Amino acid sequence: MLRLALADLWHERVLFLCSALGCAAVLAPLIVLFGLRQGVVAGLRAELLEDPRAREVVSIVNRTLEPALFARLAADPRVAFLVPRTRALSATIVLENQARPGRGVRMELLPTGPGDPLLPGLAAGEGLVLSPTAAERLGLRPGDTALASVARSVGSAREVLTLSLPVASIAPASAATRDAAFAGVPVLLLAEDFLDGNAPVDARPGTVEASRARPFAGFRLHAARLEDVPALDRELRLAGIEVASRAGSVAGLLRLDHNLALLFLAIAGAGGAGYLVSLGVGLWAQVERKRRDLALLSLLGMKRRALLMLPLVQAAAVALAGALLAFGVAAAVAGVLNRAFAGTVAGDRPVCLLTAGMGVAAAGVTLAGALLASVLAGARAAAVAPAEGLAEG
Amino acid sequence: MSSLLSLREVAKAYRGDAAPFALEVPAFELAEGEALALAGPSGSGKSTLLMMLALALPPDVGRFTFAGSDIARLWREGRRDALAALRARRIGVVPQTGGLLPYLTVAGNIGLTQRIAGCEDAARVRMLAEELGIGAQLRKRPAELSVGQRQRVAIARALAHRPALVLADEPTASVHPELADAVLALLKRECDQAGAALLVATHDPERAARAGYPVLACETHAPGADGIARSVFARASLVEAA
Ligand SMILES: Nc1ncnc2c1ncn2[C@@H]1O[C@H](COP(=O)(O)OP(=O)(O)OP(=O)(O)O)[C@@H](O)[C@H]1O
Ligand SMILES: [Mg+2]
Repeated sequence: MLRLALADLWHERVLFLCSALGCAAVLAPLIVLFGLRQGVVAGLRAELLEDPRAREVVSIVNRTLEPALFARLAADPRVAFLVPRTRALSATIVLENQARPGRGVRMELLPTGPGDPLLPGLAAGEGLVLSPTAAERLGLRPGDTALASVARSVGSAREVLTLSLPVASIAPASAATRDAAFAGVPVLLLAEDFLDGNAPVDARPGTVEASRARPFAGFRLHAARLEDVPALDRELRLAGIEVASRAGSVAGLLRLDHNLALLFLAIAGAGGAGYLVSLGVGLWAQVERKRRDLALLSLLGMKRRALLMLPLVQAAAVALAGALLAFGVAAAVAGVLNRAFAGTVAGDRPVCLLTAGMGVAAAGVTLAGALLASVLAGARAAAVAPAEGLAEG
Repeated sequence: MSSLLSLREVAKAYRGDAAPFALEVPAFELAEGEALALAGPSGSGKSTLLMMLALALPPDVGRFTFAGSDIARLWREGRRDALAALRARRIGVVPQTGGLLPYLTVAGNIGLTQRIAGCEDAARVRMLAEELGIGAQLRKRPAELSVGQRQRVAIARALAHRPALVLADEPTASVHPELADAVLALLKRECDQAGAALLVATHDPERAARAGYPVLACETHAPGADGIARSVFARASLVEAA
């Protein structure tokens, strides 16, 4: 049975190649199109998602925000990360390399906590995470010790609180472009308390638990998904908390993503439907051409199910060869596109992204369409009376 | 001699607006191993009768048994696979113009009936090919054969699976007149040797008679008042006749 089907294909290998080529000719651009959608849209999305700033929502006006608000925000499933901050003015320190005394640098002290998206895989712990510029200017490397100092004036006297903090790691450039040091909330609270006159010169940072009970001037949070940013931004503003975020551009990008996806879907849908129709019509014609042979085999006593298998096996062979060919062509085109558009459209990501999964899906859809068409055509052919096989010359 | 084919009061009609036709077989018997030529003018229903006997065309009414199976009932019950199995094991056909598959070699074409019947026997394929003078062509494709050679391949294929009945529809229509006698004689000799019954449709009863076939001529009736052209094939029961 299989031998018969394949012998026939081999005998008509030119025709077989033609059908496979025809199949590939329609399928290849569709695969490229899909690869483009995958590459551009998914690349755009991934890039946005990768930039932790895109999901950031920061409160900008100093207020007195009660612990209840923080508890509520922390429990919100749309909030992936939340860290409170002290008043902007009191979050400034002078940092010094222990090995190079007297050459301190004034910089911003930024709050951080476990799982901070700005510092992926890094943790300040009891110490500091330095911005790259700060680390370079101070000549500090992870494992070194930095001296952080805050000064206040009491009457005419000047008092200085100095903490010796280990450098835990260096932050990526995307986290802070200026000189800055990330530290746990207790360090920031201590600095603020000291400046407010609420802490002595020899005070040391408290615990994270203790800081939870305190009100704060503001916060920085990161939404779990890009889609949550506009909603969080709106709700916080409605609650009277002035915030800054990229809600506007995020919403725009999301709309673009959505529209692009829709566009690709429409084109791919029309092309895909056309493809299946052309494939089906081709196979149908092939079965019609084979009618006489099928009638003869039926007359010789071949059972209907075996007869049906003939066009089925041949359709499957055409579909698989076509899909393979199409994927090969598409991969070549994708390679050219990626080289031509390298670094322009989607950053250093490939513009046209082809995955093995897509190849399997293309082959699967083709196979399903081919089998459906040939089953319909084959059922018709197998229903022809075996009588057709005898007399007609 | 027991009867291989037995038909009683069988009828088959083509009802069209244009030219309705009815085939009637009041009685027809064929014994095992017997040879017979069916003669009649063009359009008299020879092919129609052969297709019916080949279990490829259902009769409208009547009793029809073949090799002990009630064919009329199998058709009524729509058991196409059972009919196909009977065709595959017990019947060999020689179409008018060979009807070979172009993509198989001569050996593949001859062995096709064996493969469908599930009784492959390469030695018999070779033996039949030698017998029919096409032993040297076994590896060729049908397109590389002469018309007469193709006809002989079709004959070998019809016999390869040791059928009980061989049906040939105008097997000589597409060959030279001098080859026609040889083909008819070959068919008869091979069927005799294989012990298969043989039915040949022909429009040339003299040639069939010359080749040693008993001839059954059909009785044709021009369209009557109902506009239906009738053809009657009647052959008294051998058992009754004896
Ligand atoms: N499929 C069909 N549908 C309708 N009418 C048919 C069909 N096949 C045959 N006929 C009619 O049945 C009649 C007998 O046809 P058939 O082919 O059996 O004749 P025949 O004796 O084999 O003729 P020939 O010697 O020319 O081959 C003809 O009138 C033909 O028109
Ligand atoms: Mg005929």
